[in-house]
Amino acid sequence: MNATIAKLALQALLGRRRFFLLLAFPVLLVGLVALVTALTDGEAAFELLPGLGYPLVLPLVAILAASSVLGPEVDDGSIVYLLAKPVNRYAVAFSKWLVALAATLAAGSLPILLAALLTGDAGRAWALFVGAVVAGTAYSALFLAISAVTRHAVIASLMFVLIWESLLGNLFTGIAWLSIGQWGLRVGHELSDQLPDPASLPWAIGASLVVTVVGVWFAGDRLRSFTLRGED
Amino acid sequence: MPEAPRSGVIHDLGYRRYDGPRDGTATIARTLFVTGLRHAYGLGRSGRSKVMPFLLLGMSLLPAAVVVGFVVLTGLRSLPVSYAAYTNQTQLLVSLFAASQAPVLFSRDLRHRSIVLYLARPLPATVFALVRWASLAVAMWLFTALPTVLLYLGAMLAGLDKSDQTTDALKALVLQAGLAALIAGVTGLISSVSLRRGFAVVGSVMALIVLSGVVTAVQNIASAEGEDPASVGVGLVSPWSLHNGLANAWGAGLDTPAPVDGAWVPAYVLVALLLIGGCLLGLVARFRKVGTR
Repeated sequence: MNATIAKLALQALLGRRRFFLLLAFPVLLVGLVALVTALTDGEAAFELLPGLGYPLVLPLVAILAASSVLGPEVDDGSIVYLLAKPVNRYAVAFSKWLVALAATLAAGSLPILLAALLTGDAGRAWALFVGAVVAGTAYSALFLAISAVTRHAVIASLMFVLIWESLLGNLFTGIAWLSIGQWGLRVGHELSDQLPDPASLPWAIGASLVVTVVGVWFAGDRLRSFTLRGED
Repeated sequence: MPEAPRSGVIHDLGYRRYDGPRDGTATIARTLFVTGLRHAYGLGRSGRSKVMPFLLLGMSLLPAAVVVGFVVLTGLRSLPVSYAAYTNQTQLLVSLFAASQAPVLFSRDLRHRSIVLYLARPLPATVFALVRWASLAVAMWLFTALPTVLLYLGAMLAGLDKSDQTTDALKALVLQAGLAALIAGVTGLISSVSLRRGFAVVGSVMALIVLSGVVTAVQNIASAEGEDPASVGVGLVSPWSLHNGLANAWGAGLDTPAPVDGAWVPAYVLVALLLIGGCLLGLVARFRKVGTR
């Protein structure tokens, strides 16, 4: 953990337009849920969260956060100046991950809790929040690792979320065992029966932990042997 | 030896001048269009940039091949999914293709300032912006039309009703052309404003996938509450719901939460045209501003 790198990553994250894009997601989600709750009832509005907020907004926020703390530097090559400093590369990855995690939880998980509380029934709201925290943690580590590997990190991460987890995950139930979002839901299921229970609890917890730890370690490892490539 | 008066300005180094025929703006625009179209699929670029477009294209063709095989083997008398509905069901892939390839055509020249080199030639910024848009729109249209053609060929080989299938396929192709124009305008505008590739991609995904998800959810809730006009009205907001609403109104075999009919049809057409026009105006304004810097 290196406070200076974390501070720089936070500045990169909150810089100008990026911040507004990051802010747009929670505002959109809470506003939409509040609107639907006001016009119809909480039950119809709650459907938006497992249908839209949890599988789409949370990972998108995580992608945006993880790629903002590392992506621009890799993109314009200025990361070599950071890597030239005598700082442990794992500490660099860990500091950046902490910032991405904080942003994901603040702009992804917290709005899900707020929106779910708006629809009534605090029990399921907190359950969904716990799921969103678990999934947000694993997502931010995975997407940080992807950002350290390829310049097309955003597209690669989006393909994982949209095609693997959403499109194929809806067709093949077995993908729940290999889907970060479903692991989070499984952990949340322990708190409220209204959430589905794919996979098994020890697997969900274990797999989330493994993805988080390996993701951050792998990002550090990629930074350790980093090579710059041209535009392709 | 008498020296002829020089007519060149800076490039004239005294070598023999070229005085053959010169091609005009139309040729430059056509070449730029073809290059843009090839670049959208990674042709003429590095191997790694071919992976994404062709992976997405393959993934959107695979279900069509499966459907054709299914129809042939089981002897169905109709396709289990209509052409327009197939495009809608692969909307994640179509949107991802647009989001990943629009920055290729619209961001790179601006980010690396190579746009000044283009605009130093006798090609106005307006034409440049429109040609780029046309490249992306045709690339998008090909992306959605190829599975349709595959389905249609399969339907013909399986001996389904010729006139029905032809009408439906042609309707789907026309709708896809409109959809391609819309999506190319929206994603092109986003990527010409936001030059970092990552943010252009996330912005495009927001405008296409997130917005479409929100609109579909609200449409379903509104029609479940019995508020059909509200359900149809919300559909005016996103490119995908415009496409679906028009497909529904035209009888192209696509169901929307509430049927689009009556005065809504011209409204949908008008909003779609306005959206395309607005995006083009935005693109032209953006490139003219960059060109004068």
